[in-house]
Amino acid sequence: MGSDAVKRGLLRGKPLYAVTVLALLIILPLSILAAVTFGTMRLPMAEVYRVIQYELGSIFLRLPIPEEWAPGTPIHDVVWLIRLPRLVLAAAVGAGLSISGVVMQAIVKNPLADPYILGISSGASLGATVAVMLGIGITLGPNYVGIMAFAGAFCVSIAVIALANAGGRATSVKLLLAGSALSAVCGAFSSFIIYVAHDDHSTSKIVNWTMGSLAAANWENNAAILAVALAGTLFFLTQHRTLNLMLLGDESAITLGTDLHRWRVAYLVVSSLLVGFSVYNAGVIGFVGLVVPHGARMLFGTDHRKLIPISALAGAVFLVWADVLCRTILPGNEMPIGILTSILGAPVFIYLMARKKYGFGGGD
Amino acid sequence: MKIEAKAVEALLSGSLILNGVDLEAGDRELVGVIGPNGSGKSTLLKCIYRVLKPTAGAVYLDGRALESYPYKESARRIAVVAQHNYYNFDFSVKDVALMGRAPHKRALDRDTAEDFRIVAESLETVGMAAFADRSFSTLSGGEQQRVILARALAQRTPCLILDEPTNHLDIKYQLQLMDLVRGLDRTVIAAVHDLNIAAMYCDRLYAVKDGRVVGQGSPEELLTPEFIREVYEVDAQIMTGMDGALHILFHPGAVRNKKREIF
Repeated sequence: MGSDAVKRGLLRGKPLYAVTVLALLIILPLSILAAVTFGTMRLPMAEVYRVIQYELGSIFLRLPIPEEWAPGTPIHDVVWLIRLPRLVLAAAVGAGLSISGVVMQAIVKNPLADPYILGISSGASLGATVAVMLGIGITLGPNYVGIMAFAGAFCVSIAVIALANAGGRATSVKLLLAGSALSAVCGAFSSFIIYVAHDDHSTSKIVNWTMGSLAAANWENNAAILAVALAGTLFFLTQHRTLNLMLLGDESAITLGTDLHRWRVAYLVVSSLLVGFSVYNAGVIGFVGLVVPHGARMLFGTDHRKLIPISALAGAVFLVWADVLCRTILPGNEMPIGILTSILGAPVFIYLMARKKYGFGGGD
Repeated sequence: MKIEAKAVEALLSGSLILNGVDLEAGDRELVGVIGPNGSGKSTLLKCIYRVLKPTAGAVYLDGRALESYPYKESARRIAVVAQHNYYNFDFSVKDVALMGRAPHKRALDRDTAEDFRIVAESLETVGMAAFADRSFSTLSGGEQQRVILARALAQRTPCLILDEPTNHLDIKYQLQLMDLVRGLDRTVIAAVHDLNIAAMYCDRLYAVKDGRVVGQGSPEELLTPEFIREVYEVDAQIMTGMDGALHILFHPGAVRNKKREIF
């Protein structure tokens, strides 16, 4: 395989792109349906699907649910109230983090960017901690923890870019340093608040959070994050030209008719929303926004027209299966998903960093 | 389309780079901007293509202030081939050229068969059609320059601005590119380093030194040995070739002194 082929993306320019999107659109619901059958409690496959079938029938067609599958029965509650919501959450978080990874990478013109590496997840975490432990922002309504997480993510996004641009153009080194510095600051403040608050219940909840967990998923919260993930993905689907122009830089973009400045701010707001709501619902899940877009670029090249849909779908599928792995890898216990994605993602990050040139799309 | 710069001043980190520059390029005129390094040529062009905002003075397109155009509108009128086009990414040649269609698109517009036809045609024009699927970053500097020109052509603008377009090119491609630009029949403003190229291709020249226009006119009027010595501080001899074209021969100090020793 010539290195030029890898640089452009192995499959770019081929009809394979359309086929891949279609395949992923089919694989995603199939993955969720398959993943429902995995878990600590062994359930016959036919019964699992019977529950889903009756629930969907009841929701969409107002059909009655037979007694033995009704809410309250163990099988119904495990399938419909525990497993399915967390898989739907996994898909939404996976898509949201992947998209925000793609967008952050375009904004800072560097494929090493990721909400976790740039400290944005930590910012979201701090925002959520402040909301949960100190009750700040409670006036913002029922989703106030998510909104505070978004606020934290947004503040850190702005701060990272400002810090990296201080005293000259942002380089990848400055970006990474700015990210880890702000991540440390936010982490320290979160720890301080947890330590001072002395509230065992909330503390264990937040510790779970910093390791990432989908276990707290429920349909009410899922509605919010699904809406945010879907709206964010749809928004960025329309932005592929501007995202491409971002990689050319401000000057070229102006000569091609786009002033990037206001778009950068808008993109930061939307990607902070994605990260904020992901962290609020599932805690800090690192490296998804790095690994998934990187894989997509290797296969399909840098063009954001393809990168956005592929990354969103692949990110969703990736996290669904990562969750399955988390629930089955330790017998009788569950592994926090943030630990798993870090184990998988950190080596990819190190590999990307070790390469001399940070090319978009595979590099040399 | 006519481009005018009126009393343009530019202040960059405290120093006055342009000090009241007037320049005019008439419809379908090829205007060259010459001058030594650091004279302000690039800064002047940047003011004209909106990357820099003049501290005083303004640029006009057909009499209307450039500033009053939305960026999309100005990008439909002026296309640019800038000096540095090194990008930290791996787009294909076709993707890069397709970005030239961006000013004609709204967010939800799809790329049409027409867009792809224009892109293919532009790549054909600059001789890069065979490279359409190659990665931009693997090309040589000269090839990249031609792709950027194709992108500018794909913008389908009445005006073109070139900042030292022949910088990275072999002599064959220098002449080819200038032939091509000459044949475009558009308003062109080009900063040109090489006086022979400037003399051969431009309708009119502006000479810039220390942020001021120090002379203007047709190459024949402007490029005299006295003027070249004044602006560039070198001795030169002007000859007219068999084809009627102007040729400038330079006599560097070292050669001159050597001659003195011999004779």
